[in-house]
Amino acid sequence: MHLAHLRLRDFRNYTRLDADFEPGFHLLLGRNAQGKTNILEALHLLATLRSFRGVGSAAMVRHGQPGWFVGGRAIGTSTHDVRIYWSSRERRLTLDQQPIKRLTDYLGTFRTVAFCTEDLTLVKGAGRGRRRFLDFLLTQTVPGYLPLLQRYTRAVRARNALLKRKPIDEASLDSFTAEVIQLGNQLIAHRHDLMPALAPRIQAAHKRIAPNGEELRVELIPSVKKDFAAELELTRDRERKHGATIIGPHRDEIALLLHDRSAADYASEGQKRTIAIALKIAQAEHLTEIHGAPPVLLIDDVMGELDEHRRQGFLPLLEKCGSGRGQVFMTCTEENWPHDLNRVLQRWKIHNGTLLPC
Amino acid sequence: MASLPEPVSALVGALGQLPGIGPRSAERLALHLVQSEAGQVKQLAEALVTATERIELCVTCGALTETQPCALCTDDRRDSTTVCVVETAVDVINVEKSGAFRGRFHVLGGKISPLNGVDPEDLRIAQLEARMDGVREVILALGTDVEGDATSNYLAQRLTAKGVKVTRIAHGLPAGSGLEYADDLTLSHALKGRREM
Repeated sequence: MHLAHLRLRDFRNYTRLDADFEPGFHLLLGRNAQGKTNILEALHLLATLRSFRGVGSAAMVRHGQPGWFVGGRAIGTSTHDVRIYWSSRERRLTLDQQPIKRLTDYLGTFRTVAFCTEDLTLVKGAGRGRRRFLDFLLTQTVPGYLPLLQRYTRAVRARNALLKRKPIDEASLDSFTAEVIQLGNQLIAHRHDLMPALAPRIQAAHKRIAPNGEELRVELIPSVKKDFAAELELTRDRERKHGATIIGPHRDEIALLLHDRSAADYASEGQKRTIAIALKIAQAEHLTEIHGAPPVLLIDDVMGELDEHRRQGFLPLLEKCGSGRGQVFMTCTEENWPHDLNRVLQRWKIHNGTLLPC
Repeated sequence: MASLPEPVSALVGALGQLPGIGPRSAERLALHLVQSEAGQVKQLAEALVTATERIELCVTCGALTETQPCALCTDDRRDSTTVCVVETAVDVINVEKSGAFRGRFHVLGGKISPLNGVDPEDLRIAQLEARMDGVREVILALGTDVEGDATSNYLAQRLTAKGVKVTRIAHGLPAGSGLEYADDLTLSHALKGRREM
């Protein structure tokens, strides 16, 4: 899978950009604040309709302009034309000139995995980020997972609204509880199915890039241990006090343990970074395994932070994704790119919102 | 729109309130109307007023009707031991069109939705319970979103406590089409609801 053409209008610091990309390894060079990451952000947007910087659409419009446009031609098993337009008054998403009404009809057209500094929150941050990591993978690999997740979220929100009211309408609560349990059990089953494939991948990726002797353990800590309905009944008093559903897949956690201790609390910054990269490598490998073709890798300034050993552990994935019909985009500040990448590189120079081959 | 005369823009505004009419269509309709023959427009206006004055909701079932109670509720040939529960008055017309149901109807007027502030008391549930004398089966024909499902659970619980048999319409593949047109969720529902042949 690769992106053959990218078109930007009033996106971040790009007034206009039209660029053609071959499959292979692309190096985006330029000084700071010239717009390297913005290219990766646009590519990630085409795949997921979200910014990897975790910001809303309004933040991506060029200063003083009404809206932005990001379009692209993605070539996988077939060729697709994708166009996204956003302004405060209008949003448009089309796939091959047809408007998209449901997200599930779109996702999977173009797949990316981004490596960026924000990944550190996967290790350091709240459980929500790690659940999103799982949900992203399941959304991209299990048909029907996204609508299921959306239904579950809506059922929990409705149930919470009922729990906040006094007095509680018990009969209404029961009817939404039945929905939460029925949908939640399906989510739980999907997550339990994913972990035996995913955890060893993360651990193996970590082993390749971490110094010898460092051992990572990855475990799903399910909020529901065995029987959702029975356990929900046990939290009856507490959830009434909190006015919220306090157990369920929306409270699942992924434990990242370095020598049996929580990485968030005990690992050094460098160790956390290594774990974050291992998570992303596993994500890319899992998508490759399921779909038979690697996702497009977007690597934002991460290589520069890695020492020789960790870089060596990272290279096999880069080689795999950048070969054949695959594609890798990597940003680097001026010539600080890893010289140990001895394959053919397509180099681009980014200067103040322009992109030129060099 | 500033260039339109005041009465025309007022008409555009009124038409724009209608479902499925955007600002462009509203403007086109308004300009068409003000340029039509006076008699034609008068006819339309009269039809609008008569229809809205003469149509009301049936006191028994909640369907659109000209008489009280409605023809569906008074027709002796219909089976009064089965009641089909739907969300809106328009759903009655849709089920009627199918011709597959010959019992009575009951319009709920919505579904339980805590996020939109709709409680069971806001729906015509008490009226439904009051109609249960001599009813053997209640068929729930509500939507299949989270709120529709929860409302079905709710009604099932309340009505079975009264000793009425409660069933729910099946959901699966649209008739006469191939599997290729069904989305994942519909297909998985259809598979779960399979029957032995």
